[in-house]
Amino acid sequence: MEVLIMKKLLAANDDVAAKNREYFAQHSLYVINLMGAPGSGKTTLISAVAKRVGVPVGVIEGDISSSIDAERLNGEGVKSVQINTCGECHLDAQVIREGAQQLGMDNAVVFVENVGNLICPAEFDLGEDLRLLAASVPEGDDKPFKYVPMFSYIDLVALTKCDLKKAVGFDGGNFRKGLGLVSKAEIIEVGDKGASGADKVAEFIKERFIGKTGKR
Amino acid sequence: MHELPVVTDALEIAKAEAEKRGFKKVTRITLVLGELSSVMDECVQMYFELLAENTVCEGAELRFEHVPATLRCTACGREFPHEKSFDCPGCGGESVLVKGTGREMYVKSIDGR
Repeated sequence: MEVLIMKKLLAANDDVAAKNREYFAQHSLYVINLMGAPGSGKTTLISAVAKRVGVPVGVIEGDISSSIDAERLNGEGVKSVQINTCGECHLDAQVIREGAQQLGMDNAVVFVENVGNLICPAEFDLGEDLRLLAASVPEGDDKPFKYVPMFSYIDLVALTKCDLKKAVGFDGGNFRKGLGLVSKAEIIEVGDKGASGADKVAEFIKERFIGKTGKR
Repeated sequence: MHELPVVTDALEIAKAEAEKRGFKKVTRITLVLGELSSVMDECVQMYFELLAENTVCEGAELRFEHVPATLRCTACGREFPHEKSFDCPGCGGESVLVKGTGREMYVKSIDGR
C-alpha cells in the first residue's frame, strides 16, 4: 500500500535557520552569509568593508581548521569568533547560532565567512539576510555556467581581484551573461584588495542594515 | 553531495511512517530530487543499502523522481521546465532560471505491508 508523505529532507537545518532569523531580528543584527571558493578574497573583503561601512561589525569565521582569519580580523579591531568545522565542508544553522551567541553583539552587521567552497554552502540556510558571493577574477569568467546551484542561490556578487582582469584574460561579458541566466544578483567590482569597490559594497550593506534595523 | 544525512533523514521519515501505519516491511521509498539539489542517486542508493540493514526498510526499492528547474522566457514570459536548452520552446527567446526552482528534496511516499 502506498502512503503519501511529502516530507522535506534535511528540514532540521531549516528549522534552526528560522529560529536564527528570529534571534537576529531580536538583536538587530544584519547577517551576511559570505561564500566563495578558497582564496577568492572573502577575508580581505570583510576587512575592507568593515573599515568603510560606518556601523559596528562582527564576524563569525568558518574554516575546517586554524584560526588564521579570526586572528587577522581581531588584529584589525574587527570582533571575530572562529568556528572550526573539523572537515565539514560548510557551515550550518546550528553552528551559526552558537557563533552568534559567542559573538554576543547587538545592533551590528555580522559577516559569516563560510568555508571556502562553491558547492555545499548553497544547500544550507543559516537564517541570513544577505547571500553574498566573492567570485574572484582568477577563478575564470565561466564559473556562473559551471556552478549553477551557488550562482542561483546568491543575492549579490562581489567580483574580487579586478585588478587582475587583463593578466588572466577575464571576459566580463561572459561572466555577466552566465550570471544573468541564473540570477538577478548585481555585480560590484572590487580590486586592489578592496581599495576600489569596497566602498560600494559597504554602502549596499549599510543601506540594508538601516532598512532592517532602523538604526544608523 | 550530502547523501549521508539525506539517507539518514529519509530512513527516519520512512521508519516513523511505517511504525505509525503498522507496516512490518517497507517495500519502496520514493524520493523527489530537484536538478539543482546536488544529490546523486548512486550515492543515495549506496548509503541506503548500508544504513537500512536490520531495519524495517531493509531491501526496500528506492525510486527517484527528478524535477527540473523552471525557466522563464525573457521575451514572452512563458515558463517551462529546463531540459537541455535555455531557448524558449514557444518563441525561441532567451530564458532565465526561476529562482528557488529545481531544489526540491523530499520523501514523497513509502510503500509497505
